[in-house]
Amino acid sequence: MTKKDNREAPKVIPEHMNPPIASEIVRRDGEDYLQTNEAMFTFYKRTKGEFSRYFLGLRDEMKIHGIRCPKCRAIRVPPFELMCPDCEFAEMEYVEMPDQGVMNSTPPITYFAHSLFQSFVPFGRGRVVLEGAETALPIQVYTTKGILTPFIFKRGTPVKIVFRDERLGKPTDIFAVPLSELPARLQSKSPLLESDLDFSKPAEPPVGKPTEAHRAAYRSALGLLQELAKGVESSPRAQHNLAGWKRLISWKTAGGNLTLDITDGQLAVSGDAPKGPADLVMISDDPQLLVDWMSFKEALTNAIISGKLWISVNREFTTVFKLDRLPRSIHRDRK
Amino acid sequence: MRRVGIVGAAITPCKGHWIERTYYGLSQMAVRDCLKDAAVSVKDVDGVVYGIYNDIFELAAIPEHPLHGIVGMANKPGMRVTNGGATGAYAMLAAYTWIASGLYDSVLVLGVERATDCFDFESMTETPEVIKTIGWSGDTFFERELGWTASDSYAEMVLAYMDDHPSDLKPQISAKIAELLCQQAKNNPYAQRCDELVTAEMAMNSRYVVYPFKLLEMCVYSEGAGALLFASEEKAKAISRNSGKPPIWITGVGASNEHSVAGPDYRRHKYMGRIWSDHISAQKAYEMAGIKNPLDEIQVVELHDAFIKQLQITMGEFGFVEIGRTDALVEEGIMTPGGRVLVNPSGGLTFGGHFVGGSNVMSTWSARREMINRGLKHGLIHGTGSTVAQYGVCMVLERGE
Repeated sequence: MTKKDNREAPKVIPEHMNPPIASEIVRRDGEDYLQTNEAMFTFYKRTKGEFSRYFLGLRDEMKIHGIRCPKCRAIRVPPFELMCPDCEFAEMEYVEMPDQGVMNSTPPITYFAHSLFQSFVPFGRGRVVLEGAETALPIQVYTTKGILTPFIFKRGTPVKIVFRDERLGKPTDIFAVPLSELPARLQSKSPLLESDLDFSKPAEPPVGKPTEAHRAAYRSALGLLQELAKGVESSPRAQHNLAGWKRLISWKTAGGNLTLDITDGQLAVSGDAPKGPADLVMISDDPQLLVDWMSFKEALTNAIISGKLWISVNREFTTVFKLDRLPRSIHRDRK
Repeated sequence: MRRVGIVGAAITPCKGHWIERTYYGLSQMAVRDCLKDAAVSVKDVDGVVYGIYNDIFELAAIPEHPLHGIVGMANKPGMRVTNGGATGAYAMLAAYTWIASGLYDSVLVLGVERATDCFDFESMTETPEVIKTIGWSGDTFFERELGWTASDSYAEMVLAYMDDHPSDLKPQISAKIAELLCQQAKNNPYAQRCDELVTAEMAMNSRYVVYPFKLLEMCVYSEGAGALLFASEEKAKAISRNSGKPPIWITGVGASNEHSVAGPDYRRHKYMGRIWSDHISAQKAYEMAGIKNPLDEIQVVELHDAFIKQLQITMGEFGFVEIGRTDALVEEGIMTPGGRVLVNPSGGLTFGGHFVGGSNVMSTWSARREMINRGLKHGLIHGTGSTVAQYGVCMVLERGE
């Protein structure tokens, strides 16, 4: 790779994650403390060694390799060892695996991810037992039917392995989808490519006709939201929750529209639609959800999972978490 | 093997972020207070075992080296242990063997960790970067790039348990345990969340972080330090006579690390629906200590509650309730006030705090405190860690005279 290529290629550490050289004073209990922006970074040209055949198989051949012990005949996927420790370190042999299997157990769904994965939430990471294998292959799981909820995959759910169109020789070159979501012609297609799938993009759901109960709940919600915005002004925890964040949110309910405007530690609220294009649209037919959220009876995250709340952009879960924190932060600071 | 006793213990306050102290300062605070508790001079200590989990948290690849001189151990042996969440318990196991073998007479265990110096400049918060830092602990060839985190790893195990036992781990029971631990943390002046009020209803309604884990039913990230002083029988008795505090004997020790790859047979791979590391380590510790029925013989348990639902399964693995019926911990009043066993009187890692390298030291500090103050005969302490609850360590404690 030339220096020019190096400058133009996508970076191992995304540019936006890299903070400036800076320091600041933090005051606590009347004392000043100095803190500085730092990083612990090391670059690698890391060999995949004995795993190269597996990852090259994914990347170049769209094949999944396992290993079989010639003595106990156990097949293990991925091929994570050269020798079988159960058979006095007998040399394993490579075998090609089918691209269908079942979930080893119910996979966890992550809603609050680490900093490298925040734009991918919600995502699932499970393990698939490919036909004939003893061990389970770690893999991301997806649905083609909208937001991933915990009720789509269970232990034993039949799944199909799908190959990414662009593959890099990484575990993320493949993912699993429920076999039942695929038409018969795709169930039997091997290899199945990401571009073969129809990832339906759910359209914005319509808001229902308002009832008197909706209107009353809307009035309560607007009042509570205005109190919440005022509470942020006097809550260091809440301001910290919203620090450095800017989002214009349009919240539609059957009782009426709302706008939430987050600007670096502050929250402004109004009882109408936003003036400009919103970064995030949230739709809950019943405005009582907002009341329940601010009264600690329902988390917005959980409302999305249960289908009571629709959001326009999955990666804006990060904003939803910030909103979810506010009532508790204000409550704690008031105490 | 020689008998080993705990004769001193101290922890610093657990905080979400210690701006006022580095891990150097926290370490000195814990060691000073531990030696004061034991009423001995640092000159009388033969060596130290450090429990520090993650280099990245400390921004140093040999994070213990600058501590050695400042905790008074210059020219004495010092060894760092790092074993995921079970780091503190494994550090104690190392110190135990140093003394039981006859090599040394008194050894410090110092567990210390930072976490929230880590900062995500995109969300402008600490937590996503803390989770990322822990994320480097997962398998780096096959799993890390899939989004592996400590939470989703333990969730995977808990969900598999729920596949086997769908009627156990009811949401209202986990929420009730969260409320109980919150109340117990008020008895711990060093607890990170001792001023917080979390009711079962609040826990029930808190948001999912990783399904099925909710925000108020999982441990917090903490910074802090804890120190313990271990001594041989003769030395422990002498120190105890001087300090006026009874020795707490370590009468049983067990440890187990499972396979990290999932498969149907726990003897060959990781069976996802159980925590065999907890089961095996507890059984080994019981066998060594002569414990036949833990529910009848052990009065206080300080276990590593990374997640409330994992606490329940771990109590099942320990034999206090049946696997598949761990809701009995609350439904039959086993761990509720006035119940048969005191579980995590410190508030546990959920409300007390979780400074990873020293969390199990905190648990031991608490168990010892309860055994001395309440006159309890037997205690059990525990550490779990690594991916899918792979590591487990248990120690049975017995109050001396």
